[in-house]
Amino acid sequence: MSRPGFVLEVDERTPPTLFHHGEGFRLEKLPLGTRVVYPSEPLPGIRDVDAAIDAALENPQGSPPLRTLLTPGTRLTIAVDDISLPLPPMRMPDIRGRVIEHVLELAARAGVDDVKITIANSLHRRMTPKEIKRAVGERVFRSFWPEALTNHDAEDRANLVHIGQTDRGEDVEINRRAAESDLLVYVNINLVAMDGGHKSVPVGLGSYKSLRHHHNVNTMLHSRSYMDPTSSALHDSTGRMGRLLADKLKIFTIETTLNNDTFGKPFDFLQKREWEWSVADQAAFLAAKRSTDRTPPHVKRQIFHKIAAPYGVTGVTAGETEAVHAITLENVHRQQVVEVDGQADVLVAGLPYISPYNVNSILNPILVTCLGLGYFYNMYLGKPLVRPGGTMIMFHPVRKEFHSVHHPSYIDFFEDVLAETTDPVQIEAKFEEQFANDPWYIHLYRSSYAYHGVHPFYMWYWAAHAMDQLGDVIFVGGERSTVSRLGFRTASTLGDALDMASETVGSSPKITAMKCPPLLLAEVR
Amino acid sequence: MGALTKDVRRVASGWRWTHKPLVPRSVEPPEQEHRDFPTAWARTEAGKAARSFLQGYGLAPLLRFELTTRVEGLDVLQALRPPVVFVANHSSHLDAPLVLTSLPPRWRARTAVGAAADYFFDVWWRAAATALVFNAFPVERAGSRKSTRLARELIGEGWNVVVFPEGTRSRDGWVGEFRAGAARLAVENGIPVVPIAIRGSYQAMPRGRGWPAKGKPPVTVRFGRAVRPIDGEDALAFNDRVRAALATTLDEDRTTWWDAIRRSSRGEAPDAAGPAGPRWRRVWEASRPLPAHGRRKVFTR
Repeated sequence: MSRPGFVLEVDERTPPTLFHHGEGFRLEKLPLGTRVVYPSEPLPGIRDVDAAIDAALENPQGSPPLRTLLTPGTRLTIAVDDISLPLPPMRMPDIRGRVIEHVLELAARAGVDDVKITIANSLHRRMTPKEIKRAVGERVFRSFWPEALTNHDAEDRANLVHIGQTDRGEDVEINRRAAESDLLVYVNINLVAMDGGHKSVPVGLGSYKSLRHHHNVNTMLHSRSYMDPTSSALHDSTGRMGRLLADKLKIFTIETTLNNDTFGKPFDFLQKREWEWSVADQAAFLAAKRSTDRTPPHVKRQIFHKIAAPYGVTGVTAGETEAVHAITLENVHRQQVVEVDGQADVLVAGLPYISPYNVNSILNPILVTCLGLGYFYNMYLGKPLVRPGGTMIMFHPVRKEFHSVHHPSYIDFFEDVLAETTDPVQIEAKFEEQFANDPWYIHLYRSSYAYHGVHPFYMWYWAAHAMDQLGDVIFVGGERSTVSRLGFRTASTLGDALDMASETVGSSPKITAMKCPPLLLAEVR
Repeated sequence: MGALTKDVRRVASGWRWTHKPLVPRSVEPPEQEHRDFPTAWARTEAGKAARSFLQGYGLAPLLRFELTTRVEGLDVLQALRPPVVFVANHSSHLDAPLVLTSLPPRWRARTAVGAAADYFFDVWWRAAATALVFNAFPVERAGSRKSTRLARELIGEGWNVVVFPEGTRSRDGWVGEFRAGAARLAVENGIPVVPIAIRGSYQAMPRGRGWPAKGKPPVTVRFGRAVRPIDGEDALAFNDRVRAALATTLDEDRTTWWDAIRRSSRGEAPDAAGPAGPRWRRVWEASRPLPAHGRRKVFTR
């Protein structure tokens, strides 16, 4: 039986705590009394996933069975989450591929001819054929690539349709093929509570014109947090768009959830509680630490990005989007929610090598900011783990490294925009349009494997809520000039960082550390 | 220091290599039924033979090489028949080996030593070595009735047992409070307690030292007259008598037998708990080196 997450109080018996540090690790002796939030152990995965998929498609929530929606003349589009999920990528077979195979099986039996599969990559980079093949499986790839299996292109004007506006005047513009299909089946992996639901179609298949209504500073400042759809302006907006789409389109949503089994051997020590480390775990840590300390970053990246998680599937639910997503969120919460009593003055977290936007790529300084202040800070329900005016201390080397193919606009964002200001509001007002409409970035997005020109702005907005709330942000082990450009401070050790933090939170702060990944969602009371 | 060495040291100290790993209090599982490390194998014929060899040809020569030991009062054993409970003051890891190697071989072969379960029986290799070399059995310091179960069984089988009733090594070299476990064993089984006064082991190897001090420091092991429980005497009263007997034996070793019994009969035996006062004074007194053993000078100028 898997044990739930919990809060440890560090005492003299507590061994050092392991933190991620980019493509490496740190062992930190935390001050006595520090609270460490540990994630739940992996829930048992569904033993017969294929049977679970069949059952979900046959007994959907708020919808007739999928087979009854398919007829020979049906124009069927299957949209599927892109490479940003899950993290790290899951071991083969990917759950998306398994679900798609079941959908196609039903479509084939019903005699459906017109089938297209679209990767719902939104303004993310296109997935490479190899990555697509890994996600959808060899059988689907061989049958549909390249004609009927494509990446969504949010800048292909001819293939976008303006569906209408919500009652708040938000434009809803999505992929034409999806909009003009008789049936749109969306296949999702719901890794965190932010994903899925009405966010899938309007965002995954949307365009800049549509996304700008919720991917902005104002929305992010009013999303507390964006991991809690009930308190998130982001989800309010995507909800309005999703409901508009649901009125006009026939959408059949299939959502899946995964457990916390994030690191297989030899990295499984990363998800064990330190005081339970065996001698083998200690040896594995020492070996991993020594090799990562001595290996150049680009080699480490190649090794780390080969890690595939042995996730188990904890839920497959299909049917009407809202009904499905309510069950999905329950499954996510069952795995990730950890109750925490009260806020701290200082939040400590170790940032890993991966975020949704650098799979097979580089976690550049802007993505580091998004991962720490966007994702980690927002992993809460109720209140943030750290009080307003508190300090967040993160471990990461924050190197000034960019992937020139994947993140070209990030380089200019770092060099030109951040050199002028780090204030999200000013950045949005002054620079967003220019980057979003830059023809060169659009060209690279469409024809190369580049994130959209506006994407670094979204990453910065993702951190806006934390920037607004926190009194200080310190990166331990970060590259000084790079961190300074981001508007934060660096320290060599945790002790130094806590000394620096004392300027804002006093000399005996309440400290909470979060052990993540594996993922956790702190329910702060 | 190399980075690898630093990492290894960090892990070694963090995860307490050579010790049983600890669990932070806030996640400590509820007390579970504790299973003692099995030690019966160490009392088989093969175990006895191996121990006899290790004690006779390893432990005893090593102690003789590192210490100047003097054993006194063994004649008290002539009036006794096993099983008995040996009770000694405890201020050093040298104490158990000193007691064992001081015993005549015939007694030594039938003697087991109570050792703290949480220290000597925390990891398998230490437990196995302790069980084999010292014929040790685990004792819970908490002092529950269950903790003396194994000792009662051993006495029932005719084994003598060595118990350090203070429960832990003295921090200041003086004798602490006695827990009543040893006295209870004697009362329940109607067997005598032999007090053993050890002097010099605190100076030779106190807490914190892993090896005796240089210069073959002198150590004395003195066996005192056996104390027998009186009919109807309860364990606590008997425990007081045992402690007094040990204090007398210590006094005897410091002075003479005659002076010690006279002081004892007058109720003036010096308190084994040492002088009152600040800790440093007590440690200072206890750590005063013993005079070197040697022949008493008959002729003096």
